[in-house]
Amino acid sequence: MGAHAHNEEVRKPKVKHDSPKRHVVAFIGSLVLTALAFIAVAYEVIPAGFTVPFIVILAFVQAFFQLFVWMHMDQKGHEYARISIFAGLFFILAAIIVFIFWVWV
Amino acid sequence: MATHHANAVLPDEPEKATLEGKNKILGFWLFLGGETVLFGSLFATFIALRDQVNGGPTSQQLFDMPLVAAATLILLTSSMTSVMATLALHKKNLKMIQVWLTITVLLGIGFLALEIYEFVHYVHEGHKISTSAFGSAFYTLVGFHGGHVAFGILWIILLQLSAVKKGLTVVTAPKFYLASLYWHFIDVVWVFIFTVVYLMGMIGGKVG
Amino acid sequence: MSAHASHAPAPKRSGLWDWLTTVDHKKIAILYLIAGGIFFLAGGFEALLIRLQLMYPESQVVGAGLFNELITMHGTTMIFLAVMPVIFALMNAVVPLQIGARDVAFPFVNALGFWLFFFGGLLLNTSWFLGGAPDAGWTSYTTLALNQYSGRGVDFYVLGLQIAGLGTLIGGINFLVTIINMRAPGMTFMRMPMFTWASFVTSGLILFAFPAITVGLVLLMFDRLFGGNFFNPDAGGNVIIWEHLFWIFGHPEVYILILPAFGIISEVVSTFSKKRLFGYSSMVFATALIGFLGFMVWAHHMFTTGLGAIANTLFGLATMLIAVPTGIKIFNWLLTMWGGQITFPTANLWAVGFIPTFTIGGMTGVMLAVPPADYQYHDSYFVVAHFHYVIVGGLVSGLFAGLYYWWPKMFGKMLNEKLGKWNFWTFFIGFHLTFFPQHFLGLMGMPRRVYTFLKGQDLDVGNFISTIGVFGMTIGTILFLVNVVVSAKGKRAVADPWDGRTLEWTIPSPPPEYNFAQTPLVRGLDAFWIEKMAGNKGMTPAEPLGDIHMPSPSFLPFLMSVGLFIAGYGFMYHNYVVVVIGLLVTFGCMFARSVKDDPGYHIHEDEIEEKGVKA
Repeated sequence: MGAHAHNEEVRKPKVKHDSPKRHVVAFIGSLVLTALAFIAVAYEVIPAGFTVPFIVILAFVQAFFQLFVWMHMDQKGHEYARISIFAGLFFILAAIIVFIFWVWV
Repeated sequence: MATHHANAVLPDEPEKATLEGKNKILGFWLFLGGETVLFGSLFATFIALRDQVNGGPTSQQLFDMPLVAAATLILLTSSMTSVMATLALHKKNLKMIQVWLTITVLLGIGFLALEIYEFVHYVHEGHKISTSAFGSAFYTLVGFHGGHVAFGILWIILLQLSAVKKGLTVVTAPKFYLASLYWHFIDVVWVFIFTVVYLMGMIGGKVG
Repeated sequence: MSAHASHAPAPKRSGLWDWLTTVDHKKIAILYLIAGGIFFLAGGFEALLIRLQLMYPESQVVGAGLFNELITMHGTTMIFLAVMPVIFALMNAVVPLQIGARDVAFPFVNALGFWLFFFGGLLLNTSWFLGGAPDAGWTSYTTLALNQYSGRGVDFYVLGLQIAGLGTLIGGINFLVTIINMRAPGMTFMRMPMFTWASFVTSGLILFAFPAITVGLVLLMFDRLFGGNFFNPDAGGNVIIWEHLFWIFGHPEVYILILPAFGIISEVVSTFSKKRLFGYSSMVFATALIGFLGFMVWAHHMFTTGLGAIANTLFGLATMLIAVPTGIKIFNWLLTMWGGQITFPTANLWAVGFIPTFTIGGMTGVMLAVPPADYQYHDSYFVVAHFHYVIVGGLVSGLFAGLYYWWPKMFGKMLNEKLGKWNFWTFFIGFHLTFFPQHFLGLMGMPRRVYTFLKGQDLDVGNFISTIGVFGMTIGTILFLVNVVVSAKGKRAVADPWDGRTLEWTIPSPPPEYNFAQTPLVRGLDAFWIEKMAGNKGMTPAEPLGDIHMPSPSFLPFLMSVGLFIAGYGFMYHNYVVVVIGLLVTFGCMFARSVKDDPGYHIHEDEIEEKGVKA
């Protein structure tokens, strides 16, 4: 079995080309997530108080889908990309929370 | 992967083959981190001001959801076609890069046309930048995004035209890669605009 | 490194044209220093007028209106156009050398960053001649900064800072990529000199802080020029949004300024104590932690806005937390000196003067971080004293230390030590004379930004002393300028005048355009010192001698910035033809840059050897 695995490794090209399939799946996933959010708002299927958190979470899921799959942020060599995006996101989310609670006085 | 003889000299992942290319990609990711803060600040402002209609039309009265859904679908599809361009780049297939990017640009133009139509429509309804704080925040946030789309379209067209002459090299490959990253990022921003501006606008009223 | 490029001859450019087109980080450093120095003199002159007005009660040296313009321009100029560029000057001059790189990651972008800053600053300062300078304070709070209450000057503030801010932002990205990707073999993150670390964290702060002010300025521009309502309460706008956006940028900006000074002090103190920096890894950790916490504290500028007890408590606590890493740094400097063979050339004098002065500023900072107490200090001269202790006593001292330390490397000339010591003592004493009494003026109730005060309120003596102190700082600054002129005729600097510890001292002063003939191999922290201790003459090269590829000079950065400069006036005067012309110039240059690849040129091996022998 060990030899077999070794053989497979040799046959692989130096750089793993990601298949279009993965990206089409991400596309369909994004469509489904968008549709879910749309339905949640249009048909008021979930309690009104939960709609906003629900669709915001869906948006984040979809955004991470695209960042990691389409923009290849999951791959090696993207450490600084992750740091950059997440640091920016972290800082600005702190600001957004403040803007929600502490702007109108 | 040396099936394309013309490009056989091109290394795998040509966008990262040179130090210049690596620098550009890293710098661009950092730029996107800054863009995250930029759009985040606009979102924060919009969230704080979205109910301040000052007697003008509210988001529920304004938004034309089928139109917005169509725009969302178009932009999402264009993001997918631009990832196909990146895959073609990794296969060093310039022709397919051009095909996918052309589709991306056409979809981008479609998106922009819908947005301009939407803005004109809203202005006729009495929703202007000067109508209310909501109007200012809406046009600034969505307009900033639209401006990014417009810039992206021009940029990609320019890359496509110059690649006709230059071909796919270690110099042009990073540029294609970056344009594709940029385009995805625009789509990620739109996901939040769709959610925060449009969907939450349809729920209306206060957050709670 | 394509083959066809190697035949291109090295471009020969001279004089002004060379400076307008340079993409060499060492020359850009000098440009930053000159431009920043000129703005520093302008800001200093404004400060002098402010203090002359406040020398005596009910004085009329300048009127109330002009006073408002002076305080606004003094603050804006000093922060954005004087100390930031001088920081960038030192970063440009030193960081690539300290990491063993031939250049920054994006030489073209580096030049663009400088010219954007320069033309942004120029645009802002032309306001003096075009209907009056901005007069809404350097923080430009709304509604004061809206059309109803402020003149055209604020438009200059908005557009000038927008253009200059873009330059700073791309400069920050450039340094991040440079430090991440361009380090010499063996130069791991935990072997980087402290100044490089500080520049790295500062660049990160620039990256995440400047977009917030970009947005804030855009919103203010829409309100002032295009009928927006972001800050107009009559139409549902909200003035607190400006304060938030300004300080989300503004507080990290404070750390953007002070961290490089920390880095400079670490280098100088360690070199002149002949000791390794005490607690290097805790220094790195403290720098990163200050950078992180710097983003979480901005609302402490807004305690009295009425955000409520929860917000004030959270932001107050976060602010006090910053005292911990800062304290780590101060103790590390003290312990670096402990037991060292300390000498006191001017550079170290500034560094040692920095430590107690900055500590005073830090302590008043903790006092201000207590929200109930802040209700008393807010908008008083106590605050003015606090931030001048941090920014002048801290940052400017640090910059002077850095200039005296790296001047030989930048210009190949030694600054005069005797003049330097006079420069230090006059400035240092003048500084404390100016700002120490202001603490008490503030506690006695003198509000900041007032153009005069009445007799018999016990404010006379403090204000008088404060103005006397300014003369000391003025003399100190003039002595520095004299020193610069004298040094130009003075003795040539050797490669390593201070018995240095880091890579920049391994190459000639000033360095050749390619910096390192051979990229050095780094074997540990204080790379040069390690080789010295091992008895080696210089660094072990990490590569054989060969042709060196250089980027071509370009006039495009200058033109692009001019385009935005022109468009800025178009926006202000609602002349859209001018806007279109300006933007066409800028985008035309971007187009040209994108279409025409820069093949660069090569410096040949024999040429390098020739120069190497000479030096």
